[in-house]
Amino acid sequence: MVSIIALVLLGLLWGGVYLLMAEGLNLIYGVMKVVNLAHGDLIVLGGLLAYTLFAHVGLTPITALLPVALVLFALGAAVQWGILERIPLGGAEGELRTLLATFGLSYVVSNTSFLLWGGQFQSIPFLQGALRLGPLAIPEGLLACSLAAFAAALLVHFWLHRTIAGKALRATAESPLGAASCGLEIRRIRIIAFALGAAMAGGAGALVIALVPFQISSGGDLTVQSFTLIALGGLGNYLGAWIAAEILGLAEVLSQYYLGPDIASATIYLLFIAVLLFRPQGLLGRLGRI
Amino acid sequence: MTRLIIESAVLSGLALAGLMIAAGANAYVVQLLFSTALAVTLAVGWNLIGGMAGYVSFGQVGFFGLGAYAGALAMLKWALPWPLAIVLAACLAAFLAWPLGRIMLRLSGIFFALGMFGLARVLQIIVNALEITGGPMGTSIPTAEGPGATAMAMVALATGAVALMMAISRSRFGLRLAALRDDAIAAAAAGVDTSRVKVAAFCLSAGLAAAAGALYARNVGYIDPASGFAGTIELQTVLMVLAGGIGTVWGPVLGGIVISLLSTALWARFPTEQQIILGALTLLLAVAMPGGLASIPPLSTWLRRPMLGAFTPGAATPAPAPAAVAADHAGAVLACRGLGKRFGGVVAVAGVDLAVAPGEILAVIGPNGAGKSTLFDMISAFSAPTSGEIRFRGALCAAMPPHLLARAGIARTFQTSRLFPHLTVFETVLLAAASRQHRFRDAQQAASALLAATDLADDAERFPDALPPGRQRLLEIARALALAPAVLLLDEAMAGMTAAEIARVHAVLRAATRRGTAIVAIEHVLPAIASLAARAQVLDNGQTIAEGPPAQVLSDPMVIEAYLGGDEMALAS
Repeated sequence: MVSIIALVLLGLLWGGVYLLMAEGLNLIYGVMKVVNLAHGDLIVLGGLLAYTLFAHVGLTPITALLPVALVLFALGAAVQWGILERIPLGGAEGELRTLLATFGLSYVVSNTSFLLWGGQFQSIPFLQGALRLGPLAIPEGLLACSLAAFAAALLVHFWLHRTIAGKALRATAESPLGAASCGLEIRRIRIIAFALGAAMAGGAGALVIALVPFQISSGGDLTVQSFTLIALGGLGNYLGAWIAAEILGLAEVLSQYYLGPDIASATIYLLFIAVLLFRPQGLLGRLGRI
Repeated sequence: MTRLIIESAVLSGLALAGLMIAAGANAYVVQLLFSTALAVTLAVGWNLIGGMAGYVSFGQVGFFGLGAYAGALAMLKWALPWPLAIVLAACLAAFLAWPLGRIMLRLSGIFFALGMFGLARVLQIIVNALEITGGPMGTSIPTAEGPGATAMAMVALATGAVALMMAISRSRFGLRLAALRDDAIAAAAAGVDTSRVKVAAFCLSAGLAAAAGALYARNVGYIDPASGFAGTIELQTVLMVLAGGIGTVWGPVLGGIVISLLSTALWARFPTEQQIILGALTLLLAVAMPGGLASIPPLSTWLRRPMLGAFTPGAATPAPAPAAVAADHAGAVLACRGLGKRFGGVVAVAGVDLAVAPGEILAVIGPNGAGKSTLFDMISAFSAPTSGEIRFRGALCAAMPPHLLARAGIARTFQTSRLFPHLTVFETVLLAAASRQHRFRDAQQAASALLAATDLADDAERFPDALPPGRQRLLEIARALALAPAVLLLDEAMAGMTAAEIARVHAVLRAATRRGTAIVAIEHVLPAIASLAARAQVLDNGQTIAEGPPAQVLSDPMVIEAYLGGDEMALAS
């Protein structure tokens, strides 16, 4: 009984990290209707940057969050401004080209990371202790990272819904033409969206590397994981995304524990395909939009 | 015809050169030849589903790995001779791809692409966990003879793959693929079984990738999960197709040769940077040259999809007569009873009765939002009614997919034209005619006759975007008529036409009714159809508010109210 409660708690905490990972992708998808296939590689890049900051400057993953996010923000802005903006948007053609472009980008990012950091697993030893609540032991590192992830996700959520800039971004997501006719500068907004999405990926990476060791080739898995989450949550639906993040966290932790790591790594893909086939509109569909 | 000869000559030349190199050159060159032919096979296979069918996949490497393992195990455990093992691997992959395709191809765009990526990873995880495959350590396969034999087999496989694409691009199947890629809904309305076409393309594509994988395993004599399901293979395959020209027959061949040689050269010079450069190249091509090499001027005309058949003036067969029109006991060929459709809380159609007899023209009019197009979508099976029934020739046609209904004799046009941008006028009509005619040659005759009858013959080789709007709509009517329908549903087909074009359409429609076709025509306003229709039915708010001869219906106070907004005080004052 105690072990089940501990596992559920663990899963819920992991959900926070998943949420942060996926929100970046969700933001980019929302505004550009395109999935950034390099998303997972940006997460890995963020994690490795945090690792370097830890090894050479001594920053903890939490304090490294901001500098890592800033670097990824700049990188994301450069990618959108320099590359993706050059593809005319709209229609299946634009979608296909952006998809192929980010597919290429994912190899550029992951192999550049490989050149800089090598192929071995890296991790940051951070808050190795455990918080004892009666018979339960909660890893402190996971607790801290999960809370930081929730805080970051909440902050972005607040920015999107309560500030003019955030509302402009959401307006662009809903209808670029409508937003443009309101005098918004779509191009700039797209750059900000992509940069912000990359920054969130980097931030999530900085936290995840403190929890599980990273490898360069984890990028593709992380992209699909994040995409599963936003598909499960319903695109652009924040309450749905949060619930989906928790489901994913639970599924991951429980299948790791009961079925072993091999099957656990397949679970996410099977869940992904099942979601696409049976709930393409997401968990909450049109209902739970907030 | 000359083009077919040129293409065959080029292919034979390439194959012959390949075989000669495989027979005589030193081991390094033979290996280079092997990897080039492997690249071409993979690119051609990916292009079939990703380019020709328009379903971009990031999991094609899954079938490559599956084939590699299936072939290896067939050689090891069953001691099959290697050529047989390769055929077996290809058949197994194609066989497995059938149910997988039925499921996965319900997705599209990014969902399909990433879903396939996920599927490839699941396969890799399974292979990694099994004992029979050697787990993460992989399996060795004994290779007896030198690299020459496998290189020859690879060249033969690549040649066969290209020959297959040449045949497909000249066949009914190729035409259907092209239509599917342009507009799946319009293709279904033209009688194309879109699900079957794309699943067939998926299976062929999987079989090619698996055969390539099995030969690859045989050639290196070793297979493990990391090399069988390598992301590099996926990247290179996509890059080759993109570089050569996505969706064309020869683009992937060109891209396969160029990129394969390039990546070998890069590997020799910059082994650590190779993937960065290939990734950057993909990025660059997607941004700057999405059509690849095949879009560069002299090549773009040489490598364009071959046109299928041509208009033959004075084609012997007249437009085919509709299949013997049988009416039910009340004399109606199509009868709807209490048809209703609600979207959540919105009632679009609320219990509409509609019946039309063979040879009759019924006008359905009503203001915007009256539910006219929703009614058509239900009759043509593109959306399921929430209540009521539809009888065609007296039989219920619930749960019949749109393409079967189109073949059975209910054809339709769309409110906003849905033409195929990459099909010529002739091919558009041919596509629909081929859904009915068993022999492709008969379909070509029928299409020619129909183009002559609809006055579209001069535009036979043009693409739809080169036609003025009125003629685009005429083409849509011709496409529907090519199905020789018993019931023709026209959704504002005459909107935006000139008076001369309307007169032409009227003549065409009269000729159709003389052959027994029943026509239901939606118009926003009556005049476009009034002179033709014997009966008009007026819809408002999803219900029939008036029915009768057009002149009588037009003077009905309820109809006037529906159109003018019904504020009688404002009218009176």
